[in-house]
Amino acid sequence: MDQKLEGTPKATLQISGRKVTSGEITNHWGTRLQWKVSRDGKEIATVGAGIELTFEHPETVPGKYEVVLQQFHYLNYKKDKDGKFTESKYVNISEPVSYTI
Amino acid sequence: MLHIGNVNLPLCSGVNRRSFLQAGAAAMAGLTLPNLLKLEAAGAVNEKKAKIRNCITLFLVGSPGHLDTWDMKPDAPDDIRGKFRPISTNVPGIHICEHFPRMAKMMDKVALIRSLSYNSGASHENGQRWMMTGHDFSAANKQPHMGSVISRVFGPKGDLPASIVLPAGIGNTGTSTPHGQESAYLGSAHQPFFLGSDPSRADFKVADLESPVGQSELRVEARRKLLHEIDELQRHVETSSTVERDTAYARAFNLLTNPTTKKAFDLNDEPAKLRDRYGRNSFGQSCLMARRLIERGSRFVTVNQFDTVFGISCWDMHADGGSLNNTYADYEHVLCPQFDMAFTALLEDLQQRGMLEDTVISVISEFGRTPKINPKGGRDHYPSAWTNFFAGGPIHGGRVIGSTDKIGAAPHDRPVSPPQVVASIYQAMGIDLETTMLPGPGGRPVRFIEAEPIRELFS
Repeated sequence: MDQKLEGTPKATLQISGRKVTSGEITNHWGTRLQWKVSRDGKEIATVGAGIELTFEHPETVPGKYEVVLQQFHYLNYKKDKDGKFTESKYVNISEPVSYTI
Repeated sequence: MLHIGNVNLPLCSGVNRRSFLQAGAAAMAGLTLPNLLKLEAAGAVNEKKAKIRNCITLFLVGSPGHLDTWDMKPDAPDDIRGKFRPISTNVPGIHICEHFPRMAKMMDKVALIRSLSYNSGASHENGQRWMMTGHDFSAANKQPHMGSVISRVFGPKGDLPASIVLPAGIGNTGTSTPHGQESAYLGSAHQPFFLGSDPSRADFKVADLESPVGQSELRVEARRKLLHEIDELQRHVETSSTVERDTAYARAFNLLTNPTTKKAFDLNDEPAKLRDRYGRNSFGQSCLMARRLIERGSRFVTVNQFDTVFGISCWDMHADGGSLNNTYADYEHVLCPQFDMAFTALLEDLQQRGMLEDTVISVISEFGRTPKINPKGGRDHYPSAWTNFFAGGPIHGGRVIGSTDKIGAAPHDRPVSPPQVVASIYQAMGIDLETTMLPGPGGRPVRFIEAEPIRELFS
């Protein structure tokens, strides 16, 4: 049987300066977590989240930064010719937080 | 003293099981299988004389590549070392894959065996038979699953089956040969109970615990009474088969009608936070259920991470572009994180409940994967070297037993065979392999396993 992930993971982020911290994740799927960073509306980085769930993006280029926590949503194993998932993908599990430099 | 199943037999001082066997099993006069079965049915396990432990076995169907997980070779060439990096653990000198950060913090509880190998074929079923029974065999000569052996030797404790397989038995993994998850000659009374349902699903129900459609519980109870009366009549003309069937029927009815038993399978009783800690996926919730079932009396719970290797995300990373198209992406985004969460949650949970000392955890798989990455970016079956591990019970954690050569192609020192792993599980559970025999086919006493336990796990 292929696994179907039940429920919807959810986390609440807090920000202090540039440091982002996530509260506990409810309905944690167990799949990989990552931080997605955008600047002025354009994605500039995705970084794997550690166990502690705190993150500070090192870039200091001026602009409005937005950070959101994402989790991998496994739907099926389908992949492209390079071995990358085509239907399973990362989805936001928090509201974004933002700061301006 | 020599034991067969639960029965103690006098044995001359200095005679070990090997010389006993050489003297001939026929000397076992007066001890018949029906007697053994009756003793077991009466719950004749003497837990006061031996430290009996339980076991949760996590079977990683498909088999993780050892070079990508627990036996990394960062100094090997690119096409061997793979794309992941090793990280330090809380035990100096032991490194594991970066995608197991929680496990890295608990390595002091884990004993890695890095020098496993066998040479009798590289099919999944071969590996399943070896690792779940300690034997290789054909369909005509089936050997019992470890859980069935434990059921036979320890007997049930309470109303739950002694051996349970979650969430389902292994199905199609390539060939039609046995998987090693049956009771074989030990009979139906010791067949593992297969859950057959995914405990992570919101609509989860144990199919076998639901009354058949159209039958009220009153009707089920009436049938049980009728069956009991028929069995009483049969008991006058039959012996062993009646006793064995009695046991199997009694367990089936207990499971079907006992609210406490049904409740054992209800994960809604667990705090949401704990369910989150295990991971809301099939494997994580099965690990949580394993703890719950052990807590309520099961002796041996097997969690099959998958029931097939085809068309799903699993460890079998051939990257073939077809139905076996698992790649590093599966390991990184799904498999390693899910294992890391569930395995460490299980360790923590057992420890917090004071159960870790009495519960052996074995994490086993069919084989390793080829040292050289194949042209499509995957790794293929490789039984010549791999890593499995233990925790809990009497296992001494924070150690590595054996090693492989520079490219993980073969054991470099302390080679370990699958029967030694199975022997170690039996010993860790409290079976004295020197003085205990298993009632084999036809009641003939047989050795549990033709191997010695891995002594370094215990000292």
